[in-house]
Amino acid sequence: MARGVAARTPVVLWLVLICCWTSHLLPIAQAVWLNLPSTGTKCVSEEIQTNVVVLADYTVVNDDEHPHVIPTMSARVTSPYGNNLHHQENVTHGQFAFTTSEAGNYLACFWVDSNHQVGEGLTVSLDWRIGIGAKDWESVARKEKIDGVELELRKLEGLVEAIHENLNYLKDREAEMREVSETTNARVAWFSIMSLSVCIMVSIFQLWYLKRYFRKKKLI
Amino acid sequence: METGERVTCSKIYMLLGLLFFSFVRNLSALSVTVHNIECVYEYVIYEGDTVSGNFVVVDHEIFWSSDHPGIDFTVTSPAGNTVHTSKGKSGDKFEFKAPRSGMYKFCFHNPYATPETVSFYIHVGHIPNEHDLAKDEHLDPINVKIAELREALESVTAEQKYLKARDTRHRHTNESTQKRVIFYTIGEYILLALASSLQVVYIRRLFSKTVAYNRV
Repeated sequence: MARGVAARTPVVLWLVLICCWTSHLLPIAQAVWLNLPSTGTKCVSEEIQTNVVVLADYTVVNDDEHPHVIPTMSARVTSPYGNNLHHQENVTHGQFAFTTSEAGNYLACFWVDSNHQVGEGLTVSLDWRIGIGAKDWESVARKEKIDGVELELRKLEGLVEAIHENLNYLKDREAEMREVSETTNARVAWFSIMSLSVCIMVSIFQLWYLKRYFRKKKLI
Repeated sequence: METGERVTCSKIYMLLGLLFFSFVRNLSALSVTVHNIECVYEYVIYEGDTVSGNFVVVDHEIFWSSDHPGIDFTVTSPAGNTVHTSKGKSGDKFEFKAPRSGMYKFCFHNPYATPETVSFYIHVGHIPNEHDLAKDEHLDPINVKIAELREALESVTAEQKYLKARDTRHRHTNESTQKRVIFYTIGEYILLALASSLQVVYIRRLFSKTVAYNRV
């Protein structure tokens, strides 16, 4: 009898674990909700550098008032140079994943489908992760057979590395901007002196031309 | 056999503890264009969680004044109370303790006609307290320390996202300054040349033979 209870406890625990895991997949705890207007597009964007993993998941959130009618939406993701990375129409749920090859503003646009346009609009739950947030820790845990405190510390290590990379990126950006500022500074000085010399040259030309004109007209 | 089962049990408990702590989530810094009012919702699981974040108004084309008019930011709790509000800021950080769990509404209001792009970052952080420790005896105090460490690192990440958004805005201003320097000075030179040639043409006309007795 005791052996039976002891044998059943791991099964119960696994069930609880599986419940915890599936509740992970619910968008409720880890996503941002957006309101889509019934007409028009709603876009979110983010400036991302190259070689960053982007993982996103979008779901239509069910309205309590119309439980039997689930409106559908469409989504489109474009890269900074205009390439279409993901495009889906008439879905209630979708996801996309890509690794950035260009640095710039990535745009994700959502709109309500034309044949489902209810008056109020729609709520979308968007789970957008990039970089270290998109890393699949469960597969790392399985591959390297680590769990518990060691996995948590590994996650913290990943986070620290991401902070370090971000800091380097900010440093590079600051260096680029400093160069732009310095060239602008040099240009302001150069252009102002040139404007003074242009002024002088134009007045000299005026004087020379008028003197020549008056001499020709025998007025001087 | 018994010790084997006990080891599996403890491993499962540790995995459970792991899942319990991985309920801390953060988001990327998304940018949204605010025409009049834009609201973003975020779910807070545990009461007493610290909700922190920042927003920066990134895209603006100010022509004359050097100060951005700013946008208004309001955070509403699920009960309808305003938890945090700020008016007329072009970038701000916020942090508050969630009074209850539920769906929180973060709204940006743009009082002006031109649409603005706002880059925002929201992070909900949970550190297990003694109550959670007492509820589940398989949670070590070390998990509390790890959660505190993770929250500290997340706050560094939040600062970095704020700096990145501010840097983007600064870059826009710099590039706009450079364009203005080039175009306005070349335009100035052309206008100067034009004005002086118009002067010369006018003087020539004053002295032309068609108008009689015009000793200027």
